[in-house]
Amino acid sequence: MTPFDLVEPATLREALGLLDPDDASVRPIAGGTALMLMMKAGVFRPTRLVSLRAVGTLSTIDATANGELKIGAMTPLSVVERSAMVRRHAPVITRTLRTLSNVRVRNVATVGGSLAHADPHMDLPPVLIALGARVSVAGSAGERTIPVEELFAGYFETVLKRDELITDLSVPGQGARRACYLKCTTRAVHDWPALGVAVSLERDGDMVRDARIVVSAATEKPGRLSGAEQAVRGGHIGDALFRQVGDAAADEAELITDGQGSAAYKRQLVRVYVARALHAALEQTSGAGP
Amino acid sequence: MAIQTGGQVGRSVGRLEGRAKVTGRAEYVHNMRLPGMLYGKIFRSTVAHGRIRSIDLDAARELPGVYRVVTIDDVRKVVPNPFYGPAFHDQPILAAGEVHYVGEPVAVVLAADPHVAEAAAQLIAAEYDELPAVFDEVEAMTSQAIVHDVLKPAHMFPDLKHLQGKTNTNVALDFRLRRGDPAGAFAQADHVFEHTFRTQQVLHLPLEPFVSIGEPTDSGLTIHTASQSPSFVRIEIARLLGWPENKVRVKVPYLGGGFGAKLYIKLEALVAACALIVRRPVKISLTMEEQFYTLTKHASTFRIKSGIKDGRIIARECEVWWNGGAYADIGPRITQKSGFTSPGPYDIDNVHIDSYSLYTNLPPAGALRGFGIPQLVWAYESHTDMMARALKLDPIEFRRKNILREGRAQATGTLMKDAAIAAVLDRLALRMNWTAPFDRGTRPVKRGRGVAIGFKAVIAPTTSIAIVNVAADGSCALYCSTVDMGQGSDTANAQIVSEVLNVPAESVRVVHPDTDVTPYDMATLGSRSLFHMGNAVKLAAEDAREKLAALARELGLPEGSNIPVAELFQKKYKMQAGNIVGVGSYIPSYVPPDANGLTPNATPFWMVGAAGAEVEVDTETGHVRVTRLVNIADAGRPINPKIVETQLSGAAVMQFGFTMQEKMEFDAGQVTNASLADYKIPSLLDIPPAMLNEVVEAEQKSGPFGAKGVGETATFAVSPAIANAIEDAVGVRLTSLPLTAESVYRALAAARNEPLDD
Repeated sequence: MTPFDLVEPATLREALGLLDPDDASVRPIAGGTALMLMMKAGVFRPTRLVSLRAVGTLSTIDATANGELKIGAMTPLSVVERSAMVRRHAPVITRTLRTLSNVRVRNVATVGGSLAHADPHMDLPPVLIALGARVSVAGSAGERTIPVEELFAGYFETVLKRDELITDLSVPGQGARRACYLKCTTRAVHDWPALGVAVSLERDGDMVRDARIVVSAATEKPGRLSGAEQAVRGGHIGDALFRQVGDAAADEAELITDGQGSAAYKRQLVRVYVARALHAALEQTSGAGP
Repeated sequence: MAIQTGGQVGRSVGRLEGRAKVTGRAEYVHNMRLPGMLYGKIFRSTVAHGRIRSIDLDAARELPGVYRVVTIDDVRKVVPNPFYGPAFHDQPILAAGEVHYVGEPVAVVLAADPHVAEAAAQLIAAEYDELPAVFDEVEAMTSQAIVHDVLKPAHMFPDLKHLQGKTNTNVALDFRLRRGDPAGAFAQADHVFEHTFRTQQVLHLPLEPFVSIGEPTDSGLTIHTASQSPSFVRIEIARLLGWPENKVRVKVPYLGGGFGAKLYIKLEALVAACALIVRRPVKISLTMEEQFYTLTKHASTFRIKSGIKDGRIIARECEVWWNGGAYADIGPRITQKSGFTSPGPYDIDNVHIDSYSLYTNLPPAGALRGFGIPQLVWAYESHTDMMARALKLDPIEFRRKNILREGRAQATGTLMKDAAIAAVLDRLALRMNWTAPFDRGTRPVKRGRGVAIGFKAVIAPTTSIAIVNVAADGSCALYCSTVDMGQGSDTANAQIVSEVLNVPAESVRVVHPDTDVTPYDMATLGSRSLFHMGNAVKLAAEDAREKLAALARELGLPEGSNIPVAELFQKKYKMQAGNIVGVGSYIPSYVPPDANGLTPNATPFWMVGAAGAEVEVDTETGHVRVTRLVNIADAGRPINPKIVETQLSGAAVMQFGFTMQEKMEFDAGQVTNASLADYKIPSLLDIPPAMLNEVVEAEQKSGPFGAKGVGETATFAVSPAIANAIEDAVGVRLTSLPLTAESVYRALAAARNEPLDD
């Protein structure tokens, strides 16, 4: 590893000032669980790393009266995992975190870092998209808000500029919606998912009023399947509907072949896992803990 | 003859080194640093086959902190003929004019700071004129692409002599066995079955990667290395340098796993050459990723054909192609030593075997826990089940009717002796509750079960020598070159010494391999150590016991007197002084095969291993969960029952990974998953939740206290047992490893005539 500068600013403003819009070798570092692997592999050689560890204002969790969660970008995943507030308002996040990587990673990796890394295999992005979450972003040009659904530009790519930082994540109140995340691994039980499926839906008697269906890992970036969402809307709950929606999702998803499986096989996985996720989401009771 | 027991043998003695290991005090080369030591970092080939046009070393040399950049031109100044290998002298210390696989070492950067060496290695650039490459073992038989211009067998193996100087071939050994009249028997058969099976390239992945240090000394050279074969390293390095053996000293502390990877020469010749070039200690420790470019397990293709009459196998034809990669390593020995067991543990009068060792442009392949046997059992036990199914015979009954029983002739003509094949099969049927009703599951998850049995002949002939030293206070030390790489050999050998000398096993000091101190041993490989070294250790301890008895007689003590050993020395030397040195040397009898592969004495002992698996298959995704795995072995009479059990479970889990998960993926010869992030070995979550590991009542009469080796036995039958269970569950047959969810689902889709796109 060649030497580089590691700076630890104490404020957000200072941190933004240390980033460089034109230099790819200057990057912010949060938990570092992904960046360190890239550095070890020689894929990324920094000249300066701007550590956000000392920026004190980025690691709180709050909830509003209507159940909206606000999670600071530097909050470690394990803190989110253990948060009673998160469990109350978005239990799917709690359940997802319990199977996300391992406890050593969760103790160090942060909410903001895991979004900014934009690895399509990560577990949180599809869940957050299904929940309709948004991130607040600060930059030298000012602040803006981006739906997580629009954050990802491609494989390991976001719409963030080099001198922008995610400051917090907000997850809207879910009301009576139920959600579920299923992941499928193909090379080992504990592995990066070959496919992630997140579903959030609202039930109306024996019908599904509305659903968001998101696939990740098997695709270039996590994203919603509008055709499948269309197919489920107003449908009568039951295996026939789940199968029909699974088929629609399989037709629609743009899948990639890689070491975890061929696109043709992943299409079958999408078919099966979307149907199973819908079923599982309906088994969840809304609001209450897992 | 009654087995003599003083309570030390047959006892589950705790591992002697356990405390040192769990407290982090055990010595490993990985932690070793010497004054003035330089670190080496290897620059590797990026093409599978090519002539080196140029290597640009300037940028690396100019990087501050770089001490020296070494290529084959520098190596030749200390080693004029820099080619090594146990079967062929084909592997250069660094690429010599040509490269033969992606990842082959081309140059080495030396620096006092390993990070500087690594950065500099990345600044090296080489240009190649690419040559045609071949990757598939069957294609390599007839390929226009030839890996090596001329074959260069080492001199020690008579059956390789005919290959000397051969050109225009990739065949590094063509072993054949002809027995009876296969053609005639096939003509008489009621049914003839023929199938082809394949195994993938995988690797050992010990959690301690390869590491060696070369240290120039006044008298020659010391090599500190994580090696399974210190005696071979000494002999081969001495040969390369043109030195007498006694100028090369090889020291081996504990190993963090070996599994056959750390045999023969790996980094030792390179650190030796570098150390002599710069006259400073040089250490090279590979990363986990670099292990993928060093040694692998043979991929293979096996075409097997059987003729059946009245439920009996009357003829068998085996054609096996072993993908040896770019350098032969020990591949030709696998081709022969395992090749002659390729018809399986069955009583077949008419056998025809062709077994080919092939060069390809992939990373070299060598021994890996089973020495080729798991590849063979995969094929012949899948084949056995497919025939039983076609003939509507119970798979266990079909095997019972055909297995090799005690006293019957194996394919070579060698009569089976102390091989508990029938007992192992019977115990397996019992532990699988074979005759009880079985829950077949409900869709989408279907259940099934399968069995398999395999055997192995230990490699022969090989030598072990041991020294037992009794000090003047009666304490004992064992000097032997067996390497404890985690298998527990220190503990087992100490138990043998203690049994003979009637002392507690825990009190025996085991001196680790140091070729200036410990005597010759062929190597720690192929489950040979407990038998060969165990016999040598027993002889050495008995020699010491005889000498103690002679001393007692000399001192005029009555026969059988129980006077403490310390008092014997005191009486003899008038103070605490002197010692008794017992020596044991063991080489079993052996008869080499004739031109038809036949011999009356193919091996000193047989290992027998069977497995049974219960599986659940998700018919919608192809995911297979092995819910129960039973491993049954003939390990003779165990010296240490607990170690035997953990060797069985460890071997079964390792083979489970090769069966379900592991595969080196290649793109034009380049490994594309060379890391533990992308090449998945089994974790606790992957292995079967229920595992049973058992030995049958057995005795190896020629072994120490009735024991024989067990390190590989539970690898034999795992793969076919699981594939057989999958067919039992969902009716599809997989003929290639690994048995991934996708391969199962593809087979299911093809079976209902809806095949998936590639």
